[in-house]
Amino acid sequence: MSPGDEAHDQMSKRSKKKRSRRKKSGTSPSRGWAGRIWKLLLLMAGVFLGLLLPWVTYLNYQVTTEFEGRKWDLPSRVYARALDLFPGARITLQDLEKELGLSGYRRSEQVTRPGLYGISGNTLDIHRRAFGFPDGAEDAIRLRVRLAGEEITAVSDVASGRHLELARLDPAEIASIYPLQKEDRTLVKITEAPPLLLTGLQAVEDRNFKHHPGVDLRGIARAAAANLRAGKAVQGGSTLTQQLVKNYFLTQDRTVTRKFNEAIMAVLLELHYGKAEILEAYINEVFLGQQGAYAVHGFGQASLFYFDQPLERLEARHIALLIGLVKGASYYNPRRHPDRAKKRRNQVLSAFAETGLMTESEAALAAAAPLGVSREPRSRGTRYHAFVDLVRRQLAQVYREEDLKTEGLRIFTTLVPHVQEKAQRSVTDGLHNLEERGLSSSLQGALVVADVASGEVQALIGDRDASRAGFNRAIHARRQIGSVIKPLVYLLALEHDEDYTLLTRIEDEPVTLKLADGSAWTPANYDGKSHGEVTLLEALTQSYNQATVRLGLNIGVNHLLNRVKQLGVDADIDAVPSVFLGAVELTPLEVTQIYQSLAAGGFSVPLRSVIAVQTADGDELVRYPLRIMPQPRREAIGVLNYALTEVVEQGTAKRLQGLLGRQVTLAGKTGTTNDRRDSWYVGYTRNRIAVAWVGEDDNRPAGVTGSNAAMRLWAGLFRELPVEPVDLRMPDGAYWFWVDGGSGWLTGEKCDGAIQIPFVDGSEPRQATDCLATRDKDKDSIWKKWFGKKDG
Amino acid sequence: MDKRSTVVFLFLFLSACAGRGPAPVEDREVESRVREPAKQDSAGVQVFPLQNPAVKELIADASAAESTGDYSQAATLLERALRIQPRDPEILQNLAEVQLQVNDFEQALNFAIRSYDIGPRVGEICSRNWRTISVAREHLGDHNGSLQAGKKAAECMNTKPESL
Repeated sequence: MSPGDEAHDQMSKRSKKKRSRRKKSGTSPSRGWAGRIWKLLLLMAGVFLGLLLPWVTYLNYQVTTEFEGRKWDLPSRVYARALDLFPGARITLQDLEKELGLSGYRRSEQVTRPGLYGISGNTLDIHRRAFGFPDGAEDAIRLRVRLAGEEITAVSDVASGRHLELARLDPAEIASIYPLQKEDRTLVKITEAPPLLLTGLQAVEDRNFKHHPGVDLRGIARAAAANLRAGKAVQGGSTLTQQLVKNYFLTQDRTVTRKFNEAIMAVLLELHYGKAEILEAYINEVFLGQQGAYAVHGFGQASLFYFDQPLERLEARHIALLIGLVKGASYYNPRRHPDRAKKRRNQVLSAFAETGLMTESEAALAAAAPLGVSREPRSRGTRYHAFVDLVRRQLAQVYREEDLKTEGLRIFTTLVPHVQEKAQRSVTDGLHNLEERGLSSSLQGALVVADVASGEVQALIGDRDASRAGFNRAIHARRQIGSVIKPLVYLLALEHDEDYTLLTRIEDEPVTLKLADGSAWTPANYDGKSHGEVTLLEALTQSYNQATVRLGLNIGVNHLLNRVKQLGVDADIDAVPSVFLGAVELTPLEVTQIYQSLAAGGFSVPLRSVIAVQTADGDELVRYPLRIMPQPRREAIGVLNYALTEVVEQGTAKRLQGLLGRQVTLAGKTGTTNDRRDSWYVGYTRNRIAVAWVGEDDNRPAGVTGSNAAMRLWAGLFRELPVEPVDLRMPDGAYWFWVDGGSGWLTGEKCDGAIQIPFVDGSEPRQATDCLATRDKDKDSIWKKWFGKKDG
Repeated sequence: MDKRSTVVFLFLFLSACAGRGPAPVEDREVESRVREPAKQDSAGVQVFPLQNPAVKELIADASAAESTGDYSQAATLLERALRIQPRDPEILQNLAEVQLQVNDFEQALNFAIRSYDIGPRVGEICSRNWRTISVAREHLGDHNGSLQAGKKAAECMNTKPESL
């Protein structure tokens, strides 16, 4: 027991003694009797000290621990990114409406309060709620947003008519990280609670709350009388303090012992804490409903749950309904039993009138109004299990799981709801589609989508079924990556610019290696053929195995493993030659990390899912700023990026543009593993990178290839998103040249067979075609003028 | 203040104006060694891509935050701008300058390099890129690198884009 508890016990002892003395002064004057009574009292005191005191001490400990400890248990709230609204923003009306819905906005004819929006033609009227963003709080505002096609064309403030360059939507709450008890709660401070809630609660549940010491004998008597008059139970005899105690120790038994304990604990609670503290705990603790597996506790959460509005915006009739629910949240459940609920609400309204909290006519008016309950409770966004996993992982570096569950943190993430929804659909529908094409129905998939420059993860799918929260393949499925590794082999070659360019010829011929265990390994090509002398560019775009292994052997496997590490993935990989063909097990998230560096032109950013964390009161706890790390030899990465666009133009991913229905410069790489167990597709546009994986959970042959499965999922997503072409401007140290496709010599732009290829500075061809000498001697191409190598 | 200390004070004061001598490790370095000289030697050559008004507003807000010393807020606003326009060299260079002021020289260097890589590689922004790289390298102890970057800053003016 703490010293504080001891002091409290002294207090409770004193109060008992006082009562004993009062009893003594009120007894008979007879001395003999008095003596006996005195002895009896001593005996009782002995029994009290011997038995009751330890019991009370125990109850005291229990109730104070509970009060101190559980009063503030708050789940953390996880938010999506806030949608920026500005002229030029690329979003369709459909997606914008989707985002509004996910942020809990409802469409309405009259946009009369925050949380509502209306549409007329291409114009949206949005009453944006007040919200504490990570970079500052903003008041509620009525916004008018005009769209044309896939773009926002104007944003204005309805009140002032002022044109706005930039506004934003409050983010969707995508998840809550709950305490183990599975309770949902939105904390309300007593100073911020509507006065009618506080007075109304007392009027209905405990009229003597301000004066009683925890139990109220007069209240019990009055309740009994009232119930007798009404012929049924209309009032309860328990004080709010007793009810609070009961809520702490939710046992349903109605035994005398429990009632007795409850009464003692109520008195103890009143001895330790003030009325305001007790009432504040009560309004946050009382059970008011059930949403699936989660109990709705407190009026703050109940207000959101039933009315989809914060408590301070409720009208008297709404408050009356919530107070009515105290008596039995499931019996009076307004969604299931609206008639019962209405009757109960109106009883509460009469109690308001009876106690003068409102006039009779106000009460009658409110009683005639509908319940005003929203049709469905706002979804708690548990659809995004996989992404929330990632959030927990990132936060686990800073926070204990326990804090996440109890401290009511506000977690701002990078999730883009409409991209997440589309990504899930592309996985679910894409796999369903493969099923229809004869592949197994047990195929699984994963998809990671990130912003290229910032590394912000916009969407993460870990299962074909959105509602399943089990194994998260995007983060945990370690699978062989197959040809997805190959670009790194070619990157290393391009870094050896004295030996290799994209036009260097290498042999695609059978190669047999002796492995460490003595066995021989002879990799074959996908089509079973060898292709003789091919350029690096052809070997990569066609994903030839034999050429890649030969190239890899010249470079060295340790070099490759170091490069993987440099690109941000620290995996335990055996240094064996089969690594060149992707005998490396990585997760889709790790593959995304590697390719983010390439897609961003060699500027690595650790993938992030959390931007900032605030306390429940909105104070910043931690911010995860953008940090970038330049890779060495970015000029080689620039050249490789071009080669990866050729994979899509004429290589193994050439069917992609058809699947997308768009001709646009994209970069990508397909990957298939032995016996068609895994299908990978990594692809990026100017601003987005996505990695898709398809396979069987038990790693059995699945009949999939990079282009027949994962690439379809990838295309399914990007069909629904704006696609910007990959930026092929070379970084410092790499330049574009016109070369002759056959000989690989420098040539002129207008010469036959001229193609444009980037080279690392100094590695460009030394010889030139006759055509260049005669036709383009003094004329540089526009490309070269702008982006090409300078003289000297 | 006696005569001698007045002279010393004046000397220090004027030499600060001349921009010579070891630069103090403080936030004004960004003005005296990056922004001002870049503005001067660019002589109005600005090669920025078209900027979205929303981005302009965020850049202005970030500058305001920076001038009150709220670098964290400035960085947050610039990152928001970067979400709207991820390949904007000016946003990246501004981020580099914010990092310079919070003495995160490694990130200052990295953001400036990134800005140069995707930027116009000529004009004022190019000069700010290299000047930031020079200052950051100096603080990181790479004196040769710092000198080279200083020379590169001067070259930003020699290579104006030719007409077509």
